[in-house]
Amino acid sequence: MTNAQPSIGVFTTDTDLVIQVWDAALARLTGISEETALGKTVTALLPDLEQRGLLKRFQRSVKDGVVEVLAPAFHHYLIPCAPLTPAKHFANMQQRATIAPLRDGDSIAGLIITIEDVTERLESERELATGLAAGDESTRLNAAETLSTDESYDATPLLGALSDNSWRVRRAAVQGVSRRAAPEAIAALLNSVVEHHHNASLLNSALQVLASSDVDTLSPLLQLLQGPEPDLRMQAALALGEQRDARATGALMNALKDDDANVRYHAIEALGKLGAVDAMDELADIAESRDFFLAFPALDALAKIGDPRIAPRVVSLLEDDLLREPAISLLGQLGDENAVAPLTALLNTPDAPTDLIAAALAALSDRYAERYGEGRHIADLTNREISPAGVQNLLEALDAPGKENLRPLALVLGWLKRSGVERALTRFMGRDDLRDEIIEALVQHGPATFDLLIPQLESEDLEIRRSAVVALGRIGDARATPALVNTLHDANLAIDAANALGQIGDPQALDGLLSLIGSDDASTRQAAVSALNSLATSQMRKRIIPLLNDPDPNVRESAVKIAGYFGYSESTSDLLKLSSDPIERVRTAVIEHLPYVEDERVFNVLTHALKEETPNVRAAAARALGNVDAPETVDHLVQALADEDVWVRYFSARALGRRRSEESIDALERVVAGEKFNHVRIAALDSLGQIGGRRSAAIAAGLVRDDDPDVARAAQATLEKSRQ
Amino acid sequence: MTSRSQNLVLPEGTSTLIRNLIHERTGMSFDNGKCDLLMDKLSPLVIERGFSSYLDYYYLLKYDETARPEWQNVMNALSVQETYFWREIDQVRALVQTILPQHHAQQGKSPIRIWSAACATGEEPLTIAIALNEAGWFERASIQIMASDASSKAIDRAAKGVYRPRALRSLPLHLRDRYFEQTGADWRIRNDIHARIKWSIANLIDERQIAPLASADFIFCRNVFIYFSEDAIRRVVRSFAGFIRPPGYLFIGAAESLLRLSTDFNLTEVDDAFVYVKRPRVVSTMEY
Repeated sequence: MTNAQPSIGVFTTDTDLVIQVWDAALARLTGISEETALGKTVTALLPDLEQRGLLKRFQRSVKDGVVEVLAPAFHHYLIPCAPLTPAKHFANMQQRATIAPLRDGDSIAGLIITIEDVTERLESERELATGLAAGDESTRLNAAETLSTDESYDATPLLGALSDNSWRVRRAAVQGVSRRAAPEAIAALLNSVVEHHHNASLLNSALQVLASSDVDTLSPLLQLLQGPEPDLRMQAALALGEQRDARATGALMNALKDDDANVRYHAIEALGKLGAVDAMDELADIAESRDFFLAFPALDALAKIGDPRIAPRVVSLLEDDLLREPAISLLGQLGDENAVAPLTALLNTPDAPTDLIAAALAALSDRYAERYGEGRHIADLTNREISPAGVQNLLEALDAPGKENLRPLALVLGWLKRSGVERALTRFMGRDDLRDEIIEALVQHGPATFDLLIPQLESEDLEIRRSAVVALGRIGDARATPALVNTLHDANLAIDAANALGQIGDPQALDGLLSLIGSDDASTRQAAVSALNSLATSQMRKRIIPLLNDPDPNVRESAVKIAGYFGYSESTSDLLKLSSDPIERVRTAVIEHLPYVEDERVFNVLTHALKEETPNVRAAAARALGNVDAPETVDHLVQALADEDVWVRYFSARALGRRRSEESIDALERVVAGEKFNHVRIAALDSLGQIGGRRSAAIAAGLVRDDDPDVARAAQATLEKSRQ
Repeated sequence: MTSRSQNLVLPEGTSTLIRNLIHERTGMSFDNGKCDLLMDKLSPLVIERGFSSYLDYYYLLKYDETARPEWQNVMNALSVQETYFWREIDQVRALVQTILPQHHAQQGKSPIRIWSAACATGEEPLTIAIALNEAGWFERASIQIMASDASSKAIDRAAKGVYRPRALRSLPLHLRDRYFEQTGADWRIRNDIHARIKWSIANLIDERQIAPLASADFIFCRNVFIYFSEDAIRRVVRSFAGFIRPPGYLFIGAAESLLRLSTDFNLTEVDDAFVYVKRPRVVSTMEY
């Protein structure tokens, strides 16, 4: 149980310092009763007040209205009395006293003084300070951690622990001092650094505190940077880098001329961390000096600064055996198109660091692609500059074993229209991480890769087969059709092969693709239908129309989609008849495609389906009516906004947007206000955006702060569109 | 956009919406570079549902309460089921040879519960069962093994207990011959071992679903956090910590780590295997 007795007592005085109130807690703490204290002046009650220099604090508070705090570390107590319980270190109760003015309106009517008994806390603080000097590490560590984490303790004893022999104790001390970061503690620390910097532990701990504190330590660190001791200057440079304060740039640039190489080294690193653009030329000078100790960090700092203007100066370093590799990386990181020629020239030499150069060229290309959409420009420049020796270097690097990241090599090789390259690339078609680069490269090589890709369709590795199919589709050479048609029977490849055949558009694929339209897999059927829709063949009409009456509903569904897409006039009767097909999927397909059929019966079939069909077909009818021009469409769709099925309502709301009819705004507004499902409200909002105008904007404006982010986003988009 | 999804409409920003929704509901994380792959995997579901746009499918997943079963299709489409017997066996060995004997000595006769929380097609819980059987544990103690996965398709396969040879590539041959019977090109696990596992479907991110399973002594949740965001991992591990029985042992994959997250588990090493043990709860004296 904790002691419930308050540890704070209070008394008040008038402006003559005559005691007016003396509370019970204070009487208990001090042993001075209320009767004894009341009516006395504070100097009568505490005769040594003036002698201890404290009376003037009372007088200042009365006169100037300031709050005075008597810290226990300096004053120990205001009212002399014994501790409530005997204390090991203190004969008197240790007190923290606050003297504050009592105000009556604008004037000061007296003082209120609070006295806090801090004896127990100071006792344990003393014990912990003693613990910091103990012989065993665990006692010192325990003391340091307690002082560090409990902020009611004074952090001053921790300053001494910064030079402890144990790194654990030093770490706890650094954390404690950093957390408080009181200006006086920092000042004491700096004094310690200056006086005891020969103690490496203290120096490092102190600088860690400085680097992590919120206090502005720039000035003292700059002073240290100009001090007489090289170690101290070095550590100051280090700390200035950690603080990342750009105001230190000038001083750190001066430190680049320091007599001591270690100071220069840390100044270079610090300038890099600061991103000091002003220091770029000086850092490039250092790199060009080929100083073994400083040139690498100078290049590193330039990389961190990241300003491309320095790249031309780095090019000259490609000739330096020592600095070549960091210079290549830096050019990849910072360079522009002007870096391509020197990098490629180096690639053309024997023993070129091929992987690094490829990585730099790939980085340049990626950056151009991202920033300007012109990655191809770097590819073209490389292609122009590279020699057969350079190509050979790349091919050999691709074959070298044990490499994880082959992307840069594959990418750069893909740019090169040289014999042998595509053959090398096809060997890596099965690698997931290179798939996009290899396909892109093979596509760039065009029909020349045809003979290489066709055999890959027989590979045992599914990913290789898939890559070959995709590449052949993108190359678009009709010679690939028979081989691709053969892969349609591979269930794992059917969709990709159908897509590829659609891209090629060769009529020879007709039979193969038709064989897929009865597939049980909806994605495969869809891919086959899309591919067939891409074929330009007069045979299509003749082949498709009979399939509208095929016994297989999958075939009928696909045939409907194709006949509907091409809008064959001869198929109209069949399509209308199929709107009563026993299979829902077939009816859905018919309804979706009827808007593209020119026949006066279509409108009635669609509106009938919208009212009388199954939910899925009604939803399809709503979608379809969005593509019908008849003015009566709007009424039907508005009625469908009240359909019992949520998806019929959703697609009706969307379809009204396509009709762009202002007559539907009232209905859409009701949906926005009263619909239970938010996606239907969103569809209504989107449609209001398509219709536009002030009313739509006003409806949307009320929802831009809706709790549902999707609704809010749709409302915002509608608002912007409507205003346009 | 990859080739499979090219027949569908993908309005701008929709892939991000879908990615975020999937992360929220399943914990699975797809970065920008993997969005195409995600759309590719979902494309059959969008087509099967009769939609022509991913946006419609997003609304279905997010708002249509009647479409809850569709989430199971999503989990089936996204789950990675490539695993094998005797994978990362050091942890199972540490359980069987060191941790379980200590635990059994301390806990006495109360049944021991082991949960394989992302069991895919069942290789992990069956590996544990084989290892326990080899050490004679089923005769010495009452042991319940529960196994779950978010994919119903994976659990259906696990319940069949038939595996391709590739799944047995790391299993010592003598164990393969002792515990499996060949059926054509495939291998069927012995019935008495298979019957020791209780299979179920559970989404790790849904506390209600995992509550009945996670009150276990040992949780194996390996090679699943690599697909999760840090937030999702934190949520799942917090749930584990809430339900697991003290002292509470959590086994995660060798390529995974909880050290960068603040969790209720401490990492410890047992017989060269890394194991997380639930941190004992500190009881303040104020509570007395």
